[in-house]
Amino acid sequence: MNKQFLKAGMLGLLVAGWLSQAAWAQSDPTGKRRITSTYAITNATVFKAPGDPGSKATILIKDGVILGVGNSLSLPKEAKIIAGDSLYVYAGFIDGAGTMGITKFKDVERPKDFVSSNPPDKIAGITPWRSAADAYAAVSTQVDDWRKAGFTLSQVVPDGGMLPGKTALVLLGDGKTNNFLKLNASLAANYRSSRSMYPATLVGVMAKFRDIYQNTSLVLEHERLFASTVGVRRPQATPTQLAMMQVVQKQLPVLFTARSELEIRRALALQKELGFKLILTGLENYESVIGTIKSSGTPVLIKLQVPDDKSIKAQKVEGVTESTKAQYTRVKESYDKALKQAAQLEKAGILFGFSTADAKAADVQKTLKAMIDNGLSQKAALAALTTNPAAILGVSGLAGTLEKGKLANLVLTTDTLFKEESQIKHVIADGYVFDYEIKKKAVKAETISTKPESAPNAITVEGLWEYTSETPAGSSGGEITLKRENGALAGSITYDDPTGSGKASAPIKNANLVVKTLSFEFDVAAGGMSLTVTISGEINGKTMEGTLSIPQMGFTVPLKAKLSSPSQAN
Amino acid sequence: MKKHIYLLAAFLGLGVSFAHAQIQKGSVLIKNATVLTVTKGKLESSDVLVQNGVITQIGKNLTTPAGVTAIDATGKYVMPGIIDAHSHVGLDVVNEGSAPITAEIRMKDVVNPYEIGIYRALAGGVTVSHAMHGSSNVIGGQNATLKHRWGSNDPADIIMQDAPRTIKFALGENPTRNHGRRNGIQPRSRMGVEAVIRNGFNEAIQYKKGWEKYNLAKAQKGNTISPPAYNERLQTLVDILDGKIIIHCHSYRADEIYMLINVVKDFNIKKLVFQHTNEGFKVAPEIAEYTMGASVFADWWAYKMEVYYSTAYNAAILQKNGAITSINSDSAELIRHLYHEAAKTQRYGGLTDQEALAMITINPAKQLGIEDKVGSIEVGKQADLVIFEGHPLSSYAIPQMTFVDGVKYFDRKADREDQRQLVAATEMVEPIFLRTNEEAYRCMQDVDEYFEAFQGAFIKEKH
Repeated sequence: MNKQFLKAGMLGLLVAGWLSQAAWAQSDPTGKRRITSTYAITNATVFKAPGDPGSKATILIKDGVILGVGNSLSLPKEAKIIAGDSLYVYAGFIDGAGTMGITKFKDVERPKDFVSSNPPDKIAGITPWRSAADAYAAVSTQVDDWRKAGFTLSQVVPDGGMLPGKTALVLLGDGKTNNFLKLNASLAANYRSSRSMYPATLVGVMAKFRDIYQNTSLVLEHERLFASTVGVRRPQATPTQLAMMQVVQKQLPVLFTARSELEIRRALALQKELGFKLILTGLENYESVIGTIKSSGTPVLIKLQVPDDKSIKAQKVEGVTESTKAQYTRVKESYDKALKQAAQLEKAGILFGFSTADAKAADVQKTLKAMIDNGLSQKAALAALTTNPAAILGVSGLAGTLEKGKLANLVLTTDTLFKEESQIKHVIADGYVFDYEIKKKAVKAETISTKPESAPNAITVEGLWEYTSETPAGSSGGEITLKRENGALAGSITYDDPTGSGKASAPIKNANLVVKTLSFEFDVAAGGMSLTVTISGEINGKTMEGTLSIPQMGFTVPLKAKLSSPSQAN
Repeated sequence: MKKHIYLLAAFLGLGVSFAHAQIQKGSVLIKNATVLTVTKGKLESSDVLVQNGVITQIGKNLTTPAGVTAIDATGKYVMPGIIDAHSHVGLDVVNEGSAPITAEIRMKDVVNPYEIGIYRALAGGVTVSHAMHGSSNVIGGQNATLKHRWGSNDPADIIMQDAPRTIKFALGENPTRNHGRRNGIQPRSRMGVEAVIRNGFNEAIQYKKGWEKYNLAKAQKGNTISPPAYNERLQTLVDILDGKIIIHCHSYRADEIYMLINVVKDFNIKKLVFQHTNEGFKVAPEIAEYTMGASVFADWWAYKMEVYYSTAYNAAILQKNGAITSINSDSAELIRHLYHEAAKTQRYGGLTDQEALAMITINPAKQLGIEDKVGSIEVGKQADLVIFEGHPLSSYAIPQMTFVDGVKYFDRKADREDQRQLVAATEMVEPIFLRTNEEAYRCMQDVDEYFEAFQGAFIKEKH
């Protein structure tokens, strides 16, 4: 039913497309056809790629392609001008894996001789031959919502059982055109069991996955034999095996939804055992498996949503027992840990993007802010929205940066991207421009009244700082004493003695304060070698947040410090 | 302490990559205890030295090697870590109840090292448990033997990797109810159960032949024989026939126990252990002669028709007839006091201390094929040890410390109120209520859900 409707719809679209082409020179009675497909965003602050400090430039696009980014472009007459003087332009965001616009396939009717212990694949949720493209509706509120949040390209994942089908890359452009960039982008997989038949549980799904994989390998072997030798029985691959062949031949990655640490480990174990190409998606809790993910070299798509803080807010201050308070603390620790995970992925150097599946489009800004407030760099956040998913999806040549020749996918904001007051004014997807209303936010009274003592450049560094640095084995810490000597910063630091217990001390060198960022070095002798440790952090009032690193060893851990007794200002 | 080691390692460049957690091995000297070795008698005022996870010395007045922590156990008892040959603790799924044979299922796929039941078992002195598939199918899944290394993140770290493979079989009411009565397929009766097993093994023999034929032909020039289909279900049955897997069979009635003995004799299978075995006392000589024994409840029966003819003397009768006998829990609650369960064989059957302790140590170790590694206090064995206040077979016994591979994972004095490893960031903290015994018997876990779903789908299909 659904499929027929879709087919009819597609045909309708084709016909409509043909009509509109044919009627090109005629008038447009609907008045909806756009006047031009050429646009120029003039004199905007353009961020070509993550890490780009941004510079003024004009961007010219035509028919969904970026024709140029620069300051000396000659703009054709048909170019519609978008004045970008007060706008900031970024590459359009890419959703690594999502379900926007996807409807569930209709249940297949059970045969008369159905046996639940050995059901046909199509009933047991094993439909790798299906394509998300057949279940995708470009015109849907979900697609509108995610586009409004800055997304221009998505890998849409079909809904279904353990192997629901192939994903497709779609552009979130005009809903009336064919929006598919790539069909057959990856094979979707998850732990969803059939419940009422084999495989009925998680453990059955894992066994069935192996069975399908091994038998596909054997059918391929059979096909090779058949092709090379006369007199061999005809190979009879099932639809499942046919659809799995590219996976077994490692041409097509498996996009495995794995939310928790154990689910991630299980997918990695299957990958290690069978050897397929793997992308993990939908990650929510993964702090303890980051090392394992890193050593496996698997790219990941984390859920673009942080846990809600309902349980934190519900914690009562009065009338609770000590043991309840202890439980509160543990929940709070878990919550804080969850927010820090993205930053840890960055530190570990894992290629990661985002998945919009099960996430809320309206929360994107809040989610990114939470991740950045908890240590994720803005550069890494932008990479996770653009270049990283482009690389993971194999479309780096087409999307992810603002360069001549790439797809015209852009996000235009009213301020730099991660500023709280920044809003998205336009999204350009596949060369189609979408305009959004800008809300005037009430300016906070605080920022208007300038109190002299909180002037931003009055940074206090002199005094005694207490610091802690988080290592995977627990926290470690000591004290930093800083004073000015002849205008230059100097002092000493104590740290956990690596050769035993207790504290050791070292003089501080190369101390520097640039605006709010303090950095300095000290030497540690350990195991017969001298290592230089660098501490760098941003000061905010009486606290500092930053990193402790040993560049010689590529070792970096987060560090926090508190100015416990500031020196009297002189 | 730990962070210093970490920092030192980091500074020396020894291990900045902490991706691969190694299985921890500890060193400890337990001094001046009453050592219940189980296999070598009781040693008064003796010391047990553990180095790098292995028992290296047992004797009096041992000197403490440098870097080894000494524990004064004066007035206390040390026994081997308790082994539970029938448990479902630490598993995310117990039954794949959808087919009469599911030998391809691997419980190792669904081990959950975070389950609090593991810590509770440690608090009861249990260091090794046999995490089994449930009893919904005639031939269930392959089990996992776990070492209770509490605190591990990686399931692989709590799986006893050097333990042999085992598999779950089930006779009687559970598989006939699940498949026959509810689903209308074989087996519907005890005869059907036997037929399922025999058909399975016969099919496995054909499967093995098919592969042997292909593997021989494959190397020949101009071979036209194509590879047979892969079937891990049948391959696992082949492995049973080849003696690579120990069968652990859920059973109650004497007739079905004797039936399976005849079946395995016909297929020349030697490795068979009976589980529950409530009527084992009726066929004790046969069990002793043909099998690796029985793992039984101390005194648990009458929870369904086939378990009415039972006796608390079962373990003692089996033992006196020469069958290897162990006492198991099959329960996240009983696992916490298996030493009490073992003591019941003294009340009902008058077993000696050594015989009673063997029921929860060396005997289950034999049934799991790990008796050369654990199950007694002997030099060269893995240092799984429990220190008790009071004799473990006394009603007043309280486990004080539990060690696995020489690493202390439970210490009564350091027992925190909240021992959970994982706490959800979104958990609503609510008052805690004591739960009833609902989780005690997990042999049929996941089966009800399966049938609810099945019936739901069935009704829908009719419309």
